[in-house]
Amino acid sequence: MENTADNGDSTEQGSNEQSEVQRQHQNDRLDREEDFYHFVNNLSEEDYRLMRDNNLLGTPGEVTKEELLRRLQQVKEGPEQVNQSEIGAEENRGPETPDDGSNGDSILDWLNSVRQTGNTTRSGQRGNQSWRAVSRTNPNSGDFRFSLEINVNRNIAEQQMRAEGEMTERSGTEQPMEVSSHLTETTNVENADMDSESPGPSDADRVQEVSEPQTSHDQTTQRGVRRARSRSPEQRVTRPRNDRSCSPPSRDNDQLRISHQTSSVESQNLENLVEPHTEESSSVAQNLNSRPSLTESDADLQNSTRQDSSVLSEPSQENNSGIQASGDTNAAGRRPPTIMLDLQVRRVRPGEYRQRDSIASRTRSRSQTANNTFTYESEQGGFRRTFSRSERAGVRTYVSTIRIPIRRISDAGLSEATSMALQTMIRQIMTGFGELSYFMDSDSDSDSNRGPNIDLPNVGGSLSPENVELQTQEDRRNDASLQSGAGGESRESRVPNSAEDAGSLPFLRLAHFFLLNDDDEDHPRGLTKEQIDNLSTRSFGESDGLKTCSVCITEYAEGNKLRKLPCSHEYHVHCIDRWLSENSTCPICRRAVLVSGNRESVV
Amino acid sequence: MQRMLRLKRELQMLSCEPPPGISCWQNEDKIDQLEAQIVGGSNTPYEGGVFKLEIIIPERYPFEPPKMRFLTPIYHPNIDTAGRICLDALKLPPKGAWKPSLNLSTLLTSIQLLMAEPNPDDPLMADISSEFKYNKQVYIEKAKTWTEKHAIQKNQGSSTIDKEVDEEARNGKALLKKRVATSSDLEKAKKCCI
Repeated sequence: MENTADNGDSTEQGSNEQSEVQRQHQNDRLDREEDFYHFVNNLSEEDYRLMRDNNLLGTPGEVTKEELLRRLQQVKEGPEQVNQSEIGAEENRGPETPDDGSNGDSILDWLNSVRQTGNTTRSGQRGNQSWRAVSRTNPNSGDFRFSLEINVNRNIAEQQMRAEGEMTERSGTEQPMEVSSHLTETTNVENADMDSESPGPSDADRVQEVSEPQTSHDQTTQRGVRRARSRSPEQRVTRPRNDRSCSPPSRDNDQLRISHQTSSVESQNLENLVEPHTEESSSVAQNLNSRPSLTESDADLQNSTRQDSSVLSEPSQENNSGIQASGDTNAAGRRPPTIMLDLQVRRVRPGEYRQRDSIASRTRSRSQTANNTFTYESEQGGFRRTFSRSERAGVRTYVSTIRIPIRRISDAGLSEATSMALQTMIRQIMTGFGELSYFMDSDSDSDSNRGPNIDLPNVGGSLSPENVELQTQEDRRNDASLQSGAGGESRESRVPNSAEDAGSLPFLRLAHFFLLNDDDEDHPRGLTKEQIDNLSTRSFGESDGLKTCSVCITEYAEGNKLRKLPCSHEYHVHCIDRWLSENSTCPICRRAVLVSGNRESVV
Repeated sequence: MQRMLRLKRELQMLSCEPPPGISCWQNEDKIDQLEAQIVGGSNTPYEGGVFKLEIIIPERYPFEPPKMRFLTPIYHPNIDTAGRICLDALKLPPKGAWKPSLNLSTLLTSIQLLMAEPNPDDPLMADISSEFKYNKQVYIEKAKTWTEKHAIQKNQGSSTIDKEVDEEARNGKALLKKRVATSSDLEKAKKCCI
């Protein structure tokens, strides 16, 4: 009633101009809607599908026919171009500026900016590591994969610091994609930190520590192991090392060479390999000797004894992360680890449950069959996370699967909370990657390690300490991993690992799966595009009687494309598709469109 | 989606052949805000009353149901003091039963039916619901009183069509006061179905 009153008032006072404008607006919109139906009805099936699948149709009346036509042409010319322009527009809202994402669609934009980088392969070197990044985007499904392979050798880091020009050059010349740029930034910052800590003295120590007999022994065993596990990056590595052992290096020489390398990943690898094996061996040996001691105090003791000898820069010794880092150094000394990161963002369309399950079970089964595995599952804030670790044939695999329920990701935008939470999470994991690469080449600064652990204990957090653990291949306890959610469990499985040959795991693989799916119980579940496309269609013909689409209440015109549901009810293709993308029943009789049994697999 | 075109057609249909006791019209120039009137059915406690409803059409209509709300206070187990209606057809599946083949006309008819036959097993107003179940005479009396107070009074106001708009506004304000009073009385009765 009060509304009535208000409206009465406003009519009285409201200027005629205003209502005229509104009326005009309404008419325009009506015209555009009419245009929309003309346009859609005249589309070929292929074009229609193309536009629908790319969410280009929008809401009728929203855009003009010309705009629709333009969109169609654009998408036909090639999705890449569209993507590129989008990237350009969204470059600024990278992971660093999460606050930008305040509107509903921002998470989509953000995801787009991350993943719509097309297919790129980049490689290069930075500091003590060479890397190769591959990102792949499937323009049709929107799936995004990013993998990063890093070959690391820690020991060159310090030397490399002096020849840092390379690094800056790299970040300057490259136009990195969203993900890698983030990595780069993280590491660069940390490198700078490292620089300020000036590890010079420890270098000197290290040189003194070198003892030739141990070195040669170490090398031979390792070579054997490495051959057995022939992975491409490591094979590359093996060749130079042989050469190397014949003629021990002079440090100055090495440094010189490194600083001159600018482009060749291969040669960088060689360099990396050479140096550490001679120099590091002593501390490796030390490690091996003291390894049986598992208690914390022992670890501390060990740590303190190593204080003089280790390569580690002093500041990091003060905390436990520092310990890890030092172990890291040793491991790297024995064998340059290869690290692979896999990030997969995959949108699970509503109704696509089988596929989702298969991914999940694949993860699960892998962890069951492999040695030394554990799986950790948690559910927090609506995100279901599975984290598993497995180890097999010298390859350690970490798989983190995160299922993110998203309401109507296709067109309604996301709820604010989900959007922000998701953004934060992805960011943290990205940071985790950056962190990892940072651990590869930085001995210190545990703060950057800790931060994400606290924020995201179950995923990113557990990853990074694990990684460190992995590289160190020592059995020390580290506080960071204990803090993390998975720490407790992982520790148990770690013990047997440490009993193995300490140098046996140079290869590790990290995989993140983001499954974005509409997993909300309260929300209707729709069909996938494939399921919708499987329903029969026909064109409305002359002979058909007068019939009306009950979605748009419009009579069918000749040539209209209709979709027939199993219950024999028919609708305009574009009308029913939209309904079925969110619902699974017939709008008239409410019968399930899919055979039952499909829904049983739901959650 | 088909909002504008479909609404235009629906309004045409409603004005051409409105269901008995139901009328619906566009509110000013906003096509997504409609108003409707339902005449209380005979042999119900709402007989003689004219109940006004506000209808808001969401952007995604008809893939989402319209939002309907009573503007006229009504004493009913499934309608709360704010005028919200507990009707499955007004909600999206799987909880609700909205489907695009429904329309404003069918929804208003369902509401009319709901007025005649409350559903005490899915109550919005628990007190009224138990009254309806176990003490029906009291419920009927109260509902009649409310109808007389709000719906018929308003009916008189609006039946004299030529009356000034500002008088209608005054009526509205008076009604508002009453509604505030009653709603605070009944606030505690509000339960479930929200």
